[in-house]
Amino acid sequence: MNPLAPRRIEGRSAMQRADELGKRAEYLAFLLGTEAYAIEIGTIVEILKPLPITEVPRADPGVVGVMSVRGRLVTVIDLKRRFRLTRTFSMNKKSRILLVDAAGEQIGLLVDEVVQVYRLAEADIEPPHVLGSEQPPHVVGIGRPPGGAVLLLLDLTPLFLD
Amino acid sequence: MAEHSGGGRGESAGDKAREEFFSEAQEIVDGLSRDLLALDDVSRRGGSDAELVNDVFRAVHTLKGLSGLFGAAMMSGLSHELENLLDDLRLGRIELTPQVLDLLFQSVELYGRILAAAKGDAPEPAAEVKSLLAALGQVAQQKGGTAGSVVAQYELDPGLLGVLTEYEEHRLRTNLQAGLSLYRMRVQFQLATIDSALDELKAKTRPHGEIITFLPTGEGGDAESVELEILVASRAPIATLRGAITGPNIAIEEVRRRDAAPAMDSIRPPRRASEMPPQVSIAPPAATGAGTEPPPGVMSDEPRPRTSIPPAPPAVPAASITGFGIPGAPSGMPSGVAAPPAPQAREQGKADNRELTLRSVSQTVRVDIRKLDHLMNIVGELAIVRGAVAKLQERVRSQPHLREVMSDLQRVQRAFERHLAQMQNGILEVRMVPLGQVFDKLSRIVRQLSREHDKPVNLVITGAETEIDKLIVEELSDPLMHMMRNAVDHGIEERDERMRVGKPPVGTIALNAFQKGNHVVIEVEDDGKGMDPALIVAAAIRRGIVSEAEAREMGAKEVLGLVFEPGFTTKDEATALSGRGVGMDVVKTNIAGLGGVVDITSEVGIGTKMTITLPITLAIISVLVVEVAGRTFCMPLASVEEAIVFDEGDVRTFEGREVMTQRGATLPIARLAKLFQLDGVRPGVWINEEAKTPKPPEVRPGAKPKSYVVIATVAERRVGFVVDKLVGQQDIVIKALGKSLKRVRGFAGATELGDQRVGLVLDAAALIHEVLSTQENRFALAAIEPPRQLPRAELGSRGDGEEGLL
Repeated sequence: MNPLAPRRIEGRSAMQRADELGKRAEYLAFLLGTEAYAIEIGTIVEILKPLPITEVPRADPGVVGVMSVRGRLVTVIDLKRRFRLTRTFSMNKKSRILLVDAAGEQIGLLVDEVVQVYRLAEADIEPPHVLGSEQPPHVVGIGRPPGGAVLLLLDLTPLFLD
Repeated sequence: MAEHSGGGRGESAGDKAREEFFSEAQEIVDGLSRDLLALDDVSRRGGSDAELVNDVFRAVHTLKGLSGLFGAAMMSGLSHELENLLDDLRLGRIELTPQVLDLLFQSVELYGRILAAAKGDAPEPAAEVKSLLAALGQVAQQKGGTAGSVVAQYELDPGLLGVLTEYEEHRLRTNLQAGLSLYRMRVQFQLATIDSALDELKAKTRPHGEIITFLPTGEGGDAESVELEILVASRAPIATLRGAITGPNIAIEEVRRRDAAPAMDSIRPPRRASEMPPQVSIAPPAATGAGTEPPPGVMSDEPRPRTSIPPAPPAVPAASITGFGIPGAPSGMPSGVAAPPAPQAREQGKADNRELTLRSVSQTVRVDIRKLDHLMNIVGELAIVRGAVAKLQERVRSQPHLREVMSDLQRVQRAFERHLAQMQNGILEVRMVPLGQVFDKLSRIVRQLSREHDKPVNLVITGAETEIDKLIVEELSDPLMHMMRNAVDHGIEERDERMRVGKPPVGTIALNAFQKGNHVVIEVEDDGKGMDPALIVAAAIRRGIVSEAEAREMGAKEVLGLVFEPGFTTKDEATALSGRGVGMDVVKTNIAGLGGVVDITSEVGIGTKMTITLPITLAIISVLVVEVAGRTFCMPLASVEEAIVFDEGDVRTFEGREVMTQRGATLPIARLAKLFQLDGVRPGVWINEEAKTPKPPEVRPGAKPKSYVVIATVAERRVGFVVDKLVGQQDIVIKALGKSLKRVRGFAGATELGDQRVGLVLDAAALIHEVLSTQENRFALAAIEPPRQLPRAELGSRGDGEEGLL
């Protein structure tokens, strides 16, 4: 049994999306360490500079903690640790928190740096299987906007479904 | 489906109206249920209560009107048939048998399901409604004739009898058949105060008998007053009535049977002779006819408004039944048409009533609980503002030339604080609802269960008026329902068995609620067979919940605690009542979700008592803010017994558990820093460099400064939590942690503490349970491989694991 198989349905391919959105979709690119990722701009509620975050003991290591955004409690996720890119925590002046709506909850994604918004045409997107046949469900494609950048396109919903 | 039950998914404006409809209908159904239970109670004791039947009738009638308005065809059809049944019941055409009551209870059940279906929560109970309608139709067939000869035996004016409504006639007949005496009261009313005076009179009469009708005598009055003749049926002798119903212008006499000897009472002179017109009090009515009894002709000339409101109640809109019923009518039924005193008085009374009705409607407002939550959040924000102002105040204080501003600021700040506190309390009060809301549902269920299961059960409720947060009430109904099921199914014995052991054949379940400090306690107690520890252990072993070795080490309380384990049941086959997979573990989880705890005490052969302890509100709580290893936590003050200075030298260790002696008693202690693995800086521990929160630990190993023990108590269980620092007390608005953190145990939520910092609120009940059960298990099961005992391992996987506790 491949546990990822049913979930694949959740993350539609980025090409399909580009199709639906009139051949062009806007993605926000950000850095985790040195790697560039991007998520659809429509899923982002707000980009925040780091606010005081309170550590939650016993939470999953990928959870930074909770913070209050205008009176609303938001769980902050460290994407780098979530993706197992690192075992240590870091945050600096360039760090940003992307406030996103995911699976009915507002979640803050801690990223190292926000790069820019890219408009990707259908032709700019490669399917995820170019990276290998077994990609996690939140990886929905590879964006190659004009100018030479390479972005791993993410769909956040599968990340927060459990 | 929507077409039947609520007009489909209407858009925006319609939605709001539909919401109103739902909540109003729900309220009426709840009231209906209450009345039926009362009726059931009365009828089981062999009595009957016309008022209650009327209330039920009115409720159904209103429902019919409402559902018609919203095109809810199924509900309206059901209401229509029920209304017919109730009308027959009211008029004595059919009897209130247990079967009829069953049908009525079923209808309440169905109303609930129709409403749920209309909201889209459940499928429509079309088949059930159909069969109930059929059953109602059958009952209607059985109605008997109305034999009314008994009335004729009384010396009543035929003119009077002619103007009685069908309902009044029925009540008269019923009462006379039941052997009650009939009294005639003549009362002089001032037109200006007739409404209140009548109400007062009714209240005085009610305990002694039933008012059949009111009629103006057409005499004895003047421009400012009017005389009414009031027929009262009562079991009490006339002396009692005269003693109870006193007043300057009241005369009471007995209406006697023809050819019967005068009753003793009516021969005796009235006690207050001065108040009684002598000819009325002693002489039989026929003899006094010249003086007081209007001849039939006069009677029929009286402008009876019978025509203005048709006697057939179903045609009268509900509002007019409750609102415009002339005050004299028994229980405000349409039969209230009985005689307004005089035209101008009627006009005045009507106007007053209409005003009153409008006013009482507009005095209640239904509010979505989310709006109150929103207000509560604003109050929370204001509390933060208050904190900020206090900081400013500190800064001003250090400026000597601003002394004047300072004192002004202080005054303003104090006023602000006071009003904020009032506002907070006000909003909290609005959120409070009586537990009776859920208790009513429970009594219905118990009644149903006891009939289905043929175990007669008497449910005794106390403290239904105890108030608790609306959200908690909502969440309580399922757990309580389950506990009731258990009590009937597992607790109360079969009738034969009860007789055999010498218990009363009718079992008793007591449902008690009361407030205890900041908590509400709800007890469910049955006088059944109790829980046999041996059976529990055997069942738990059979289901693999504990091993035999584990079981041997368990104390009595722990054994009872086994019923809260997932999958526990003593019955091998699920019965219709309970044991359908939803077990006590769900009850426990639900209650824990509300910040409460469940305890069981039980004695074999005597009974079982389950006690739920809950916080009164979830929204705003007072907390003790503490610091541990540089992190800030909030301990709900409701659970804090006291905080004392911690002395390492007081700590004793018993096989791994740390305890200290406090006031001669043993107090298990837990170091929060260890419990949460906060000691030192672990690799990957997060520190916000920019905001400097949480602050780096001030406490360094080696130079151990003073620390404190916060003693927390929940439902008789105590644990001392060791913390570094007591920061202070604060009122906070508690917010739930996000879904992605729902598996993290030990926290009830979080709150904003000011400076944009978030503090986690500890879940005292969960932590106490965790500490005690971990210690007990470790103690008892040291030798056994215990995978079940280490649920925290997964949560605390990044630290040094379970050993941290030792």
